[in-house]
Amino acid sequence: MEKQEEINSNPGADWENFRDDDIMLQHSAIRDEQAHKILFLGDKEPLSALAAEYQSGSSILLEKIKLLDEKYCAIRRTRGDGNCFFRSFMFSYLEHILETQDKAEIDRVKVNVEECRKTLQSLGYADFTFEDFFALFLEQLESVVQGADASISHDELVERSRDQSISDYVVMFFRFVTSGEIRKRSEFFEPFILGLTNATVDQFCKSSVEPMGEESDHVHITALSDALGVPVRVVYLDNSSCDTGGVSVNHHDFVPCSLSNDGSSGLEINPYITLLYRPGHYDILYPK
Amino acid sequence: MTSSSTQSRKVLSKIAQNRLQKELAEWQLNPPPGLKHKITDNLQRWVIDVSGAPGTLYANETYQLQVDFPEHYPMEAPQVIFVPPAPLHPHIYSNGHICLDILYDSWSPAMTVNSICISILSMLSSSTSKQRPPDNDRYVKNCRNGRSPKETRWWFHDDKA
Repeated sequence: MEKQEEINSNPGADWENFRDDDIMLQHSAIRDEQAHKILFLGDKEPLSALAAEYQSGSSILLEKIKLLDEKYCAIRRTRGDGNCFFRSFMFSYLEHILETQDKAEIDRVKVNVEECRKTLQSLGYADFTFEDFFALFLEQLESVVQGADASISHDELVERSRDQSISDYVVMFFRFVTSGEIRKRSEFFEPFILGLTNATVDQFCKSSVEPMGEESDHVHITALSDALGVPVRVVYLDNSSCDTGGVSVNHHDFVPCSLSNDGSSGLEINPYITLLYRPGHYDILYPK
Repeated sequence: MTSSSTQSRKVLSKIAQNRLQKELAEWQLNPPPGLKHKITDNLQRWVIDVSGAPGTLYANETYQLQVDFPEHYPMEAPQVIFVPPAPLHPHIYSNGHICLDILYDSWSPAMTVNSICISILSMLSSSTSKQRPPDNDRYVKNCRNGRSPKETRWWFHDDKA
Protein backbone atom coordinates (compact mmCIF):
# COMPACT_ATOMS: atom_id res chain seq x y z
CA MET A 1 0.00 0.00 0.00
CA GLU A 2 1.22 3.47 -0.68
CA LYS A 3 2.43 5.36 2.37
CA GLN A 4 0.73 8.76 2.28
CA GLU A 5 -2.60 7.48 1.16
CA GLU A 6 -2.81 4.63 3.57
CA ILE A 7 -3.18 7.04 6.47
CA ASN A 8 -6.21 8.81 5.11
CA SER A 9 -8.06 5.75 4.01
CA ASN A 10 -7.49 3.51 6.97
CA PRO A 11 -9.89 4.44 9.74
CA GLY A 12 -7.95 2.19 12.13
CA ALA A 13 -4.75 4.20 11.81
CA ASP A 14 -4.30 6.62 14.67
CA TRP A 15 -2.38 9.82 14.34
CA GLU A 16 0.16 8.83 16.92
CA ASN A 17 1.38 6.00 14.72
CA PHE A 18 1.18 8.08 11.62
CA ARG A 19 3.63 10.56 13.04
CA ASP A 20 6.10 7.90 14.11
CA ASP A 21 5.97 6.24 10.71
CA ASP A 22 6.28 9.52 8.94
CA ILE A 23 9.19 10.66 11.07
CA MET A 24 10.86 7.31 10.49
CA LEU A 25 10.55 7.74 6.75
CA GLN A 26 11.81 11.29 6.98
CA HIS A 27 14.77 10.15 9.03
CA SER A 28 15.65 7.47 6.53
CA ALA A 29 15.36 10.02 3.73
CA ILE A 30 17.73 12.34 5.59
CA ARG A 31 20.10 9.45 6.24
CA ASP A 32 20.08 8.55 2.55
CA GLU A 33 20.85 12.13 1.63
CA GLN A 34 23.68 12.34 4.16
CA ALA A 35 25.06 9.02 3.08
CA HIS A 36 25.45 10.19 -0.49
CA LYS A 37 27.67 13.06 0.54
CA ILE A 38 30.26 10.53 1.73
CA LEU A 39 32.29 8.53 -0.78
CA PHE A 40 31.76 4.76 -0.96
CA LEU A 41 35.24 4.60 0.51
CA GLY A 42 37.10 7.43 2.21
CA ASP A 43 40.81 8.25 2.48
CA LYS A 44 42.99 6.78 5.19
CA GLU A 45 42.71 9.05 8.23
CA PRO A 46 44.66 9.06 11.51
CA LEU A 47 42.75 7.86 14.57
CA SER A 48 42.74 11.44 15.84
CA ALA A 49 40.07 12.09 13.19
CA LEU A 50 37.89 9.56 14.98
CA ALA A 51 38.51 11.19 18.36
CA ALA A 52 37.61 14.57 16.86
CA GLU A 53 34.11 13.26 16.14
CA TYR A 54 33.48 12.76 19.85
CA GLN A 55 35.28 15.84 21.18
CA SER A 56 32.21 17.19 22.89
CA GLY A 57 30.68 13.79 23.46
CA SER A 58 30.99 10.69 25.58
CA SER A 59 34.10 10.38 27.72
CA ILE A 60 33.81 6.58 27.58
CA LEU A 61 34.17 6.70 23.80
CA LEU A 62 37.14 9.06 23.99
CA GLU A 63 38.84 6.75 26.48
CA LYS A 64 38.21 3.78 24.24
CA ILE A 65 39.63 5.62 21.24
CA LYS A 66 42.75 6.26 23.32
CA LEU A 67 43.02 2.51 23.85
CA LEU A 68 42.50 1.88 20.15
CA ASP A 69 45.30 4.31 19.46
CA GLU A 70 47.75 1.89 21.11
CA LYS A 71 47.07 -0.83 18.56
CA TYR A 72 45.72 0.93 15.50
CA CYS A 73 47.11 3.78 13.48
CA ALA A 74 44.40 4.69 11.00
CA ILE A 75 40.78 4.40 9.96
CA ARG A 76 39.22 4.38 6.49
CA ARG A 77 35.55 5.24 6.44
CA THR A 78 32.90 3.73 4.22
CA ARG A 79 29.54 5.13 3.19
CA GLY A 80 26.70 4.25 5.56
CA ASP A 81 24.44 2.91 2.86
CA GLY A 82 23.77 -0.53 4.30
CA ASN A 83 26.60 -2.05 2.25
CA CYS A 84 29.42 -0.86 4.52
CA PHE A 85 30.40 -4.29 5.84
CA PHE A 86 30.71 -5.81 2.37
CA ARG A 87 32.44 -2.75 0.95
CA SER A 88 34.93 -2.64 3.85
CA PHE A 89 35.59 -6.33 3.40
CA MET A 90 36.12 -5.89 -0.35
CA PHE A 91 38.63 -3.10 -0.03
CA SER A 92 40.51 -4.59 2.94
CA TYR A 93 40.85 -7.94 1.23
CA LEU A 94 41.98 -6.60 -2.13
CA GLU A 95 44.33 -4.11 -0.47
CA HIS A 96 45.87 -6.96 1.52
CA ILE A 97 46.46 -8.99 -1.64
CA LEU A 98 47.86 -5.96 -3.44
CA GLU A 99 50.31 -5.25 -0.63
CA THR A 100 51.39 -8.83 0.11
CA GLN A 101 51.19 -10.28 -3.43
CA ASP A 102 50.33 -13.53 -1.65
CA LYS A 103 49.93 -15.94 -4.60
CA ALA A 104 49.09 -18.88 -2.35
CA GLU A 105 46.19 -16.93 -0.85
CA ILE A 106 44.91 -16.01 -4.32
CA ASP A 107 44.96 -19.65 -5.38
CA ARG A 108 43.27 -20.66 -2.15
CA VAL A 109 40.47 -18.10 -2.38
CA LYS A 110 39.83 -18.97 -6.04
CA VAL A 111 39.12 -22.55 -5.00
CA ASN A 112 36.60 -21.25 -2.46
CA VAL A 113 35.00 -18.96 -5.05
CA GLU A 114 34.48 -21.96 -7.33
CA GLU A 115 32.94 -23.83 -4.38
CA CYS A 116 30.55 -20.91 -3.88
CA ARG A 117 29.61 -21.06 -7.55
CA LYS A 118 28.75 -24.74 -7.20
CA THR A 119 26.79 -24.04 -4.03
CA LEU A 120 24.59 -21.51 -5.84
CA GLN A 121 24.12 -23.88 -8.78
CA SER A 122 23.10 -26.73 -6.51
CA LEU A 123 20.67 -24.40 -4.70
CA GLY A 124 18.96 -23.80 -8.06
CA TYR A 125 20.22 -20.31 -8.91
CA ALA A 126 20.42 -19.78 -12.66
CA ASP A 127 24.02 -19.13 -13.71
CA PHE A 128 23.12 -15.87 -15.43
CA THR A 129 21.90 -14.36 -12.15
CA PHE A 130 25.33 -14.48 -10.49
CA GLU A 131 28.01 -15.09 -13.15
CA ASP A 132 28.61 -11.40 -14.01
CA PHE A 133 29.20 -10.63 -10.33
CA PHE A 134 31.61 -13.54 -9.94
CA ALA A 135 33.50 -12.50 -13.06
CA LEU A 136 33.83 -8.94 -11.81
CA PHE A 137 35.23 -10.03 -8.46
CA LEU A 138 37.74 -12.40 -10.07
CA GLU A 139 38.76 -9.60 -12.42
CA GLN A 140 39.51 -7.32 -9.43
CA LEU A 141 41.45 -10.12 -7.76
CA GLU A 142 43.58 -10.63 -10.88
CA SER A 143 44.18 -6.93 -11.30
CA VAL A 144 45.76 -6.43 -7.87
CA VAL A 145 48.43 -8.99 -8.80
CA GLN A 146 51.32 -6.93 -10.07
CA GLY A 147 53.30 -7.49 -13.22
CA ALA A 148 50.47 -8.11 -15.70
CA ASP A 149 49.07 -5.75 -18.33
CA ALA A 150 45.87 -5.36 -16.36
CA SER A 151 47.59 -4.73 -13.03
CA ILE A 152 46.38 -1.76 -11.04
CA SER A 153 48.06 0.47 -8.46
CA HIS A 154 46.83 1.15 -4.94
CA ASP A 155 45.36 4.45 -6.10
CA GLU A 156 43.46 2.68 -8.84
CA LEU A 157 42.11 0.17 -6.34
CA VAL A 158 40.79 3.08 -4.27
CA GLU A 159 39.25 4.60 -7.39
CA ARG A 160 37.58 1.35 -8.38
CA SER A 161 36.18 0.93 -4.90
CA ARG A 162 34.58 4.35 -5.32
CA ASP A 163 33.23 3.56 -8.78
CA GLN A 164 29.67 2.36 -8.45
CA SER A 165 29.83 0.24 -11.60
CA ILE A 166 32.57 -1.87 -10.01
CA SER A 167 32.11 -1.42 -6.28
CA ASP A 168 28.41 -2.30 -6.16
CA TYR A 169 28.94 -5.37 -8.34
CA VAL A 170 31.61 -6.70 -6.00
CA VAL A 171 29.33 -6.00 -3.03
CA MET A 172 26.64 -7.99 -4.81
CA PHE A 173 29.11 -10.83 -5.42
CA PHE A 174 29.65 -11.03 -1.65
CA ARG A 175 25.89 -10.97 -1.09
CA PHE A 176 25.48 -13.98 -3.39
CA VAL A 177 28.31 -15.83 -1.63
CA THR A 178 26.85 -15.02 1.80
CA SER A 179 23.34 -16.10 0.83
CA GLY A 180 24.62 -19.33 -0.72
CA GLU A 181 26.58 -20.22 2.43
CA ILE A 182 23.62 -19.51 4.74
CA ARG A 183 21.28 -21.58 2.59
CA LYS A 184 23.77 -24.43 2.22
CA ARG A 185 24.21 -24.65 6.00
CA SER A 186 20.69 -23.59 6.89
CA GLU A 187 20.51 -25.90 9.93
CA PHE A 188 23.56 -24.20 11.40
CA PHE A 189 22.39 -20.66 10.69
CA GLU A 190 18.68 -21.11 11.47
CA PRO A 191 18.90 -20.54 15.27
CA PHE A 192 20.98 -17.37 14.78
CA ILE A 193 18.50 -16.05 12.25
CA LEU A 194 15.58 -16.83 14.54
CA GLY A 195 17.37 -14.84 17.23
CA LEU A 196 17.46 -11.80 14.96
CA THR A 197 14.10 -11.91 13.24
CA ASN A 198 11.08 -14.11 12.93
CA ALA A 199 12.05 -15.10 9.44
CA THR A 200 12.83 -18.47 7.92
CA VAL A 201 16.27 -18.96 6.38
CA ASP A 202 14.82 -18.46 2.91
CA GLN A 203 12.96 -15.28 3.90
CA PHE A 204 16.07 -13.94 5.65
CA CYS A 205 18.26 -14.49 2.60
CA LYS A 206 15.67 -12.97 0.28
CA SER A 207 14.97 -9.91 2.40
CA SER A 208 18.15 -9.26 4.42
CA VAL A 209 21.06 -10.65 2.39
CA GLU A 210 20.34 -10.55 -1.34
CA PRO A 211 18.95 -7.01 -1.76
CA MET A 212 21.54 -4.21 -1.91
CA GLY A 213 21.52 -1.82 1.03
CA GLU A 214 20.47 -4.38 3.63
CA GLU A 215 22.71 -4.10 6.67
CA SER A 216 24.94 -6.93 7.87
CA ASP A 217 25.45 -8.42 11.27
CA HIS A 218 27.18 -11.46 12.71
CA VAL A 219 25.20 -13.92 10.56
CA HIS A 220 26.40 -12.27 7.35
CA ILE A 221 29.98 -11.94 8.61
CA THR A 222 30.15 -15.56 9.78
CA ALA A 223 28.77 -16.83 6.47
CA LEU A 224 31.06 -14.74 4.26
CA SER A 225 34.12 -15.53 6.37
CA ASP A 226 33.33 -19.26 6.27
CA ALA A 227 32.51 -19.34 2.56
CA LEU A 228 35.70 -17.58 1.46
CA GLY A 229 37.89 -18.91 4.28
CA VAL A 230 38.93 -15.40 5.28
CA PRO A 231 39.17 -14.50 8.99
CA VAL A 232 37.78 -11.12 10.05
CA ARG A 233 38.37 -9.15 13.25
CA VAL A 234 35.62 -6.79 14.38
CA VAL A 235 36.51 -4.20 17.01
CA TYR A 236 33.52 -2.82 18.89
CA LEU A 237 33.32 0.85 19.78
CA ASP A 238 30.24 1.68 21.83
CA ASN A 239 29.22 3.35 25.07
CA SER A 240 29.38 0.24 27.22
CA SER A 241 31.70 0.01 30.20
CA CYS A 242 32.46 -2.58 32.87
CA ASP A 243 30.72 -2.48 36.26
CA THR A 244 34.02 -1.64 37.86
CA GLY A 245 34.15 1.51 35.80
CA GLY A 246 37.10 0.25 33.82
CA VAL A 247 37.05 0.76 30.08
CA SER A 248 38.23 -1.80 27.57
CA VAL A 249 37.73 -2.28 23.87
CA ASN A 250 36.29 -5.65 22.88
CA HIS A 251 36.84 -7.40 19.64
CA HIS A 252 35.58 -10.59 18.09
CA ASP A 253 37.43 -12.74 15.58
CA PHE A 254 35.35 -14.47 12.96
CA VAL A 255 37.45 -17.53 12.20
CA PRO A 256 36.32 -19.54 9.19
CA CYS A 257 35.27 -23.08 10.10
CA SER A 258 37.85 -24.42 7.62
CA LEU A 259 40.60 -22.92 9.80
CA SER A 260 39.17 -23.71 13.23
CA ASN A 261 38.31 -27.35 12.41
CA ASP A 262 41.49 -28.54 10.80
CA GLY A 263 43.30 -29.49 14.00
CA SER A 264 45.48 -26.42 14.08
CA SER A 265 43.40 -25.04 16.93
CA GLY A 266 46.52 -24.30 18.96
CA LEU A 267 47.59 -21.93 16.22
CA GLU A 268 46.99 -18.24 16.75
CA ILE A 269 44.95 -16.81 13.90
CA ASN A 270 45.68 -13.24 13.04
CA PRO A 271 42.99 -11.79 10.80
CA TYR A 272 44.32 -9.33 8.24
CA ILE A 273 40.91 -7.73 7.86
CA THR A 274 40.07 -5.52 10.84
CA LEU A 275 36.84 -3.59 10.93
CA LEU A 276 35.67 -1.01 13.41
CA TYR A 277 32.04 -1.48 14.38
CA ARG A 278 30.00 1.36 15.77
CA PRO A 279 26.30 0.52 16.23
CA GLY A 280 24.91 0.26 12.71
CA HIS A 281 28.15 0.87 10.83
CA TYR A 282 31.48 -0.68 9.80
CA ASP A 283 34.69 1.12 8.84
CA ILE A 284 38.18 -0.23 8.16
CA LEU A 285 40.87 -0.15 10.86
CA TYR A 286 44.63 -0.32 10.24
CA PRO A 287 46.79 -2.03 12.90
CA LYS A 288 50.14 -0.47 13.79
CA MET B 1 -1.00 5.72 -19.51
CA THR B 2 2.46 4.04 -19.54
CA SER B 3 4.30 6.46 -17.30
CA SER B 4 7.69 5.23 -18.42
CA SER B 5 7.20 6.36 -21.98
CA THR B 6 7.13 9.94 -20.79
CA GLN B 7 10.49 9.60 -19.06
CA SER B 8 13.74 9.83 -20.91
CA ARG B 9 14.99 6.29 -21.02
CA LYS B 10 18.65 5.54 -21.11
CA VAL B 11 19.91 2.69 -23.21
CA LEU B 12 20.74 -0.56 -21.48
CA SER B 13 24.27 -1.04 -20.21
CA LYS B 14 26.29 -3.88 -21.71
CA ILE B 15 25.79 -5.99 -18.61
CA ALA B 16 22.05 -5.35 -18.71
CA GLN B 17 21.80 -6.28 -22.38
CA ASN B 18 23.81 -9.41 -21.89
CA ARG B 19 21.79 -10.47 -18.87
CA LEU B 20 18.43 -9.80 -20.57
CA GLN B 21 19.42 -11.81 -23.61
CA LYS B 22 20.16 -14.74 -21.32
CA GLU B 23 16.90 -14.30 -19.42
CA LEU B 24 15.01 -14.20 -22.70
CA ALA B 25 16.74 -17.35 -24.00
CA GLU B 26 15.96 -19.16 -20.75
CA TRP B 27 12.35 -17.97 -20.87
CA GLN B 28 11.92 -19.27 -24.41
CA LEU B 29 13.51 -22.59 -23.49
CA ASN B 30 11.38 -23.05 -20.35
CA PRO B 31 8.33 -20.80 -20.66
CA PRO B 32 6.73 -20.43 -17.21
CA PRO B 33 3.14 -21.76 -17.08
CA GLY B 34 0.41 -19.13 -17.32
CA LEU B 35 2.80 -16.52 -18.72
CA LYS B 36 3.42 -15.62 -22.34
CA HIS B 37 6.08 -13.23 -23.51
CA LYS B 38 5.19 -11.37 -26.69
CA ILE B 39 8.13 -11.51 -29.03
CA THR B 40 9.35 -8.07 -30.05
CA ASP B 41 12.74 -6.69 -30.94
CA ASN B 42 12.63 -4.41 -27.91
CA LEU B 43 14.82 -5.92 -25.21
CA GLN B 44 14.18 -2.97 -22.89
CA ARG B 45 10.41 -3.45 -22.68
CA TRP B 46 8.79 -6.83 -22.29
CA VAL B 47 5.04 -7.29 -22.58
CA ILE B 48 3.80 -10.45 -20.91
CA ASP B 49 0.34 -12.02 -21.01
CA VAL B 50 -0.71 -13.30 -17.61
CA SER B 51 -3.47 -15.92 -17.51
CA GLY B 52 -5.34 -16.33 -14.23
CA ALA B 53 -4.74 -19.82 -12.83
CA PRO B 54 -7.61 -22.32 -13.08
CA GLY B 55 -9.62 -22.59 -9.88
CA THR B 56 -8.78 -19.04 -8.75
CA LEU B 57 -10.80 -15.81 -8.90
CA TYR B 58 -8.95 -14.88 -12.10
CA ALA B 59 -9.50 -18.11 -14.03
CA ASN B 60 -10.18 -17.54 -17.74
CA GLU B 61 -9.01 -13.92 -17.50
CA THR B 62 -5.91 -12.58 -19.21
CA TYR B 63 -4.00 -9.44 -18.29
CA GLN B 64 -0.93 -7.73 -19.64
CA LEU B 65 2.21 -6.93 -17.68
CA GLN B 66 4.61 -4.32 -18.97
CA VAL B 67 8.19 -4.67 -17.77
CA ASP B 68 10.62 -1.80 -18.43
CA PHE B 69 14.30 -2.26 -17.72
CA PRO B 70 16.56 0.53 -16.44
CA GLU B 71 20.07 1.18 -17.72
CA HIS B 72 21.63 -0.64 -14.79
CA TYR B 73 19.43 -3.70 -14.64
CA PRO B 74 19.79 -6.00 -12.69
CA MET B 75 21.40 -3.76 -10.05
CA GLU B 76 18.28 -1.62 -10.36
CA ALA B 77 14.80 -3.10 -10.29
CA PRO B 78 12.71 -3.21 -13.45
CA GLN B 79 9.48 -1.20 -13.52
CA VAL B 80 6.56 -3.61 -13.59
CA ILE B 81 2.96 -2.52 -14.13
CA PHE B 82 -0.26 -4.00 -15.46
CA VAL B 83 -1.43 -2.39 -18.67
CA PRO B 84 -4.97 -1.16 -17.79
CA PRO B 85 -7.47 -2.68 -17.42
CA ALA B 86 -5.58 -4.12 -14.44
CA PRO B 87 -6.96 -7.08 -12.50
CA LEU B 88 -9.26 -6.21 -9.59
CA HIS B 89 -7.08 -7.02 -6.60
CA PRO B 90 -6.53 -5.47 -3.14
CA HIS B 91 -2.89 -4.67 -4.02
CA ILE B 92 -3.26 -3.59 -7.62
CA TYR B 93 -4.29 -0.03 -8.43
CA SER B 94 -6.56 0.77 -11.35
CA ASN B 95 -3.66 2.53 -13.13
CA GLY B 96 -1.79 -0.79 -13.12
CA HIS B 97 0.65 -0.07 -10.28
CA ILE B 98 1.35 -3.08 -8.10
CA CYS B 99 2.07 -3.01 -4.36
CA LEU B 100 4.63 -5.81 -4.00
CA ASP B 101 7.87 -5.39 -2.05
CA ILE B 102 10.15 -7.29 -4.44
CA LEU B 103 9.43 -4.71 -7.14
CA TYR B 104 10.89 -1.95 -4.99
CA ASP B 105 12.94 -2.11 -1.75
CA SER B 106 13.33 -5.87 -1.72
CA TRP B 107 14.47 -6.21 -5.32
CA SER B 108 17.70 -8.14 -5.75
CA PRO B 109 19.77 -9.04 -8.81
CA ALA B 110 19.24 -12.64 -7.68
CA MET B 111 15.68 -12.29 -8.99
CA THR B 112 14.64 -12.53 -12.63
CA VAL B 113 11.72 -11.42 -14.80
CA ASN B 114 10.55 -15.00 -14.54
CA SER B 115 10.58 -15.06 -10.73
CA ILE B 116 8.84 -11.68 -10.54
CA CYS B 117 6.06 -12.75 -12.90
CA ILE B 118 5.57 -15.95 -10.90
CA SER B 119 5.27 -13.90 -7.69
CA ILE B 120 2.67 -11.66 -9.31
CA LEU B 121 0.74 -14.66 -10.60
CA SER B 122 0.81 -16.23 -7.15
CA MET B 123 -0.36 -12.92 -5.65
CA LEU B 124 -3.39 -13.14 -7.96
CA SER B 125 -3.98 -16.80 -7.20
CA SER B 126 -4.03 -16.29 -3.43
CA SER B 127 -6.51 -13.41 -3.58
CA THR B 128 -9.81 -13.99 -1.80
CA SER B 129 -11.64 -10.90 -3.01
CA LYS B 130 -11.79 -8.94 -6.22
CA GLN B 131 -11.49 -5.35 -5.13
CA ARG B 132 -9.25 -2.31 -5.43
CA PRO B 133 -6.96 -1.08 -2.64
CA PRO B 134 -8.96 1.19 -0.29
CA ASP B 135 -6.84 4.22 -1.30
CA ASN B 136 -7.14 3.58 -5.02
CA ASP B 137 -8.75 6.85 -6.16
CA ARG B 138 -6.43 9.10 -4.21
CA TYR B 139 -3.31 7.18 -5.28
CA VAL B 140 -4.27 7.12 -8.94
CA LYS B 141 -5.02 10.84 -8.85
CA ASN B 142 -1.54 11.48 -7.41
CA CYS B 143 0.00 9.55 -10.29
CA ARG B 144 -1.71 11.53 -13.05
CA ASN B 145 1.49 13.36 -13.91
CA GLY B 146 2.94 10.07 -15.07
CA ARG B 147 4.75 9.14 -11.88
CA SER B 148 6.46 5.78 -11.96
CA PRO B 149 5.50 3.32 -9.21
CA LYS B 150 9.22 3.18 -8.40
CA GLU B 151 8.95 6.77 -7.16
CA THR B 152 6.19 5.86 -4.73
CA ARG B 153 7.12 5.44 -1.12
CA TRP B 154 5.48 2.08 -0.57
CA TRP B 155 4.59 0.96 2.89
CA PHE B 156 4.35 -2.80 3.18
CA HIS B 157 2.35 -3.77 6.24
CA ASP B 158 2.85 -7.50 6.05
CA ASP B 159 2.74 -10.23 3.47
CA LYS B 160 -0.90 -9.40 2.85
CA ALA B 161 -0.32 -5.72 2.11
